[in-house]
Amino acid sequence: MDTVLTAKDLRKTYHRGSEDVHAVDGVSFDAGAGELTAIIGPSGSGKTTLLNLLGCLDNPSSGSLSVGGEEIFGGKAELSEGTLTGIRRRNFGYIFQKFYLIPTLTVLENIMLPGVFYRGAGAGRTPQELLKQLGLENRAAHLPAELSGGEMQRVAIARALINAPKILLADEPTGNLDSKRAGEIEEILHTLADGGITVIMVTHNLELARTADRVIEIRDGRIHAQ
Amino acid sequence: MNIYSVAYKNLLRKKVRTALTASGIALSAWVLATLFGFNRGYESGLNRDVDNMGFQVLLTAKGCPYEAATLMLKGGTGLRYMEEDVVKTVSSNKEVEAVTRMLMQGVFDPNKGDSGAIAAYLGVDTHTFPAMKPYLEFKQGGWFKTNDGYEAVMGYEAAELEAREVGDPLLIPDLGTELKVVGVLKRTGTQDDGTIFLPLDTVQKIFKKEGKLTGLGIKVDKNADMGAFENRLYDLPDVQVVSMAQVKTTIMSLVSSARVIVFAIAFIAVLIAMAGVVNTILMSVIERYGEIGILKSMGAMPLDIFRMIWMETAILCSLGGFGGILLSLATARAAEAAVRHFLPYTPNGDMIAVNFSIAAGAFGVIFVGGLLSGVYPAWRAARVRPLEAIRNEGE
Amino acid sequence: MKKLILLALFALSAAPAFAAVGCDLNDPDRDVARLFPASTGYKTQYLSVKTAGGAPLLARIEARLGDKFKGLYETIDVPYTLYHIYKGKEKVGYIHGVNQKGEFGGIQAFITLGLNGEIRAFYIQKLTSKGAAALRSKEFGEQFAGLTLADFAAYDPVAGKVAGEGPAARLKSPSPAADKDFRNVLRSVKKNLILMDELLFSREQK
Repeated sequence: MDTVLTAKDLRKTYHRGSEDVHAVDGVSFDAGAGELTAIIGPSGSGKTTLLNLLGCLDNPSSGSLSVGGEEIFGGKAELSEGTLTGIRRRNFGYIFQKFYLIPTLTVLENIMLPGVFYRGAGAGRTPQELLKQLGLENRAAHLPAELSGGEMQRVAIARALINAPKILLADEPTGNLDSKRAGEIEEILHTLADGGITVIMVTHNLELARTADRVIEIRDGRIHAQ
Repeated sequence: MNIYSVAYKNLLRKKVRTALTASGIALSAWVLATLFGFNRGYESGLNRDVDNMGFQVLLTAKGCPYEAATLMLKGGTGLRYMEEDVVKTVSSNKEVEAVTRMLMQGVFDPNKGDSGAIAAYLGVDTHTFPAMKPYLEFKQGGWFKTNDGYEAVMGYEAAELEAREVGDPLLIPDLGTELKVVGVLKRTGTQDDGTIFLPLDTVQKIFKKEGKLTGLGIKVDKNADMGAFENRLYDLPDVQVVSMAQVKTTIMSLVSSARVIVFAIAFIAVLIAMAGVVNTILMSVIERYGEIGILKSMGAMPLDIFRMIWMETAILCSLGGFGGILLSLATARAAEAAVRHFLPYTPNGDMIAVNFSIAAGAFGVIFVGGLLSGVYPAWRAARVRPLEAIRNEGE
Repeated sequence: MKKLILLALFALSAAPAFAAVGCDLNDPDRDVARLFPASTGYKTQYLSVKTAGGAPLLARIEARLGDKFKGLYETIDVPYTLYHIYKGKEKVGYIHGVNQKGEFGGIQAFITLGLNGEIRAFYIQKLTSKGAAALRSKEFGEQFAGLTLADFAAYDPVAGKVAGEGPAARLKSPSPAADKDFRNVLRSVKKNLILMDELLFSREQK
């Protein structure tokens, strides 16, 4: 399996008054193409901070990260917001617990939204193909308010896939869903991983985590077990 | 789908708020367009009124500022006269294009109303006066051909009051002189409507004022130095110079001082509208912090977000501005009636002249003002870090 | 200079434009009190042949008058001002004037009417005529008191003569200089009475 993402000794330290808080404290980690990794841990353990560093949403305090062979962080100065956005555009898709769909746009428009800002070269499938894949063909013209929670998360997944990312990062993707809908999302994530997309998710849902190819447990900013 | 439609749909989220803000913008656009229109209409109306007098300078005898007004104010007396020689003196100036002699006379008519009234007659030189008043058109007939005939040309309202038509006799009360009406003018909206014009020599003869004038209208070469010419006229003995340019300047300076206050109010209206825009857009940015963060995590650059929020401002200001312009066109007549009611002197014709350039100017001010007020909210939105949005979800 | 500007403003100001000229009392408060000494108030109403009945009504009025409406100023859309006169809350009569083309100028002749349409007083507000003083004299005006539309039916404005021996036939021109305008005045009174009948009394009966 080709390695898509490599993190080496990633650290993120916040300064609270005179105290240094090590939210992520020397995490090293590889993720292969088509691998589904679950990051678990108690609240405040640093798992979301780690996900943010892996997804280039934030600069680490130290350590290195490479994505698809491209060195991103590695002893260099902090990257600007613009540079990070450029990296995210090319490599990542994100889904979140709260979906964050635009309420005035239809399902189809929400899926097309990232394309308004960036259309990757030879980018993925058409919105219609994604709608079909995620079982939303009949919902294209609906507004988010007319959808169930599971459907909203599927729209968010389709939106994350529109620019054909190498890596899909999911922060509590089933946190707002009942067990049945959570199961549907789990199935979709597996299907995506089977299709070659690297999926890294943070979750409290141990059942969901158990189905992952690999589970990493974080405690106090460090990998406790994997 | 593009950034414009996204911005437009964002505005539809809070329809009432958007509508109220757009109404605020519309009101200030309306105030602006109406004031710009008034500014232009008033000035051009005043210019037209003054130009319609046909001459730029009126010479009268000292103590008689304006013959018709003097007659009305002093009940037919108080007219003063210049000797006709003044014509030669004035004509010798190189700036003078033409002069026209006038003699205003009035008689007391005891049979007008309960206690009588003044009937006024303006003797004019048929060879020079019509050429200076080319805008006078006839409803019936035409000018008298000689300066000594017993004929009359009546202004529209004078003819209406006396029920005179061409061919009818006209009696000068008191003197018992009979004249024949040879022309009735069309309505002009000026003092000429109420005037009865008679040949100059006839007026001099029947009122026994041979060689006397009450007014001398002077048409000056447009390129001439008016100031220098007027100064020379001031040196003439026993005459008074009424310069229409001077009157116009004085009125305009009065209007300008009022205008400063009015434009200050308009400026405040625009500021209030801009504050409304900042408030609305900023609130919507703050409410959408998370969403904006997500857009950035999806690949939207800070400039993209800035553009999107700025576009929302632009759409809001365009809708409001356009609405305000339409409102100003629709209410121009009503606003004009109100202005006419409150101002002591208003020129004839359209006083609030909202044309394309004025509409575009008012729209431009509102639009640019709106865009400026959108800069801060758009900048705030562009600075949102995607992490903040995600942190809101909380560990 | 200030005075000069005020005068110039006055000179530049022009009266507002109206379609056709009506016949109003110059000073209604004073004139009503003089013409109807017992009155305490009045209300003003505007009437016109055009709005009250249009061309057919005009044709009927002309037929009853025995003459056509003529010239630039006697038209179908002339606004007529009718003053309803009150003593307290009770209506006591009317004042109505018409414009009439005279020999040398416009004539504005008013009649005051009782509730049954009989003339109570006659008043010429404006007149330009060689016989003006005689026509505006008190004696001349008093002759009209008590006359009605029926009395004027016999007056032919075209011929300028009253047929028969009725009260209208006893009206005489006050001076030879006023002959033409005397006939014009009679035409104005007949027209006025017909207008009042068509626009007011016949409608009140209905």
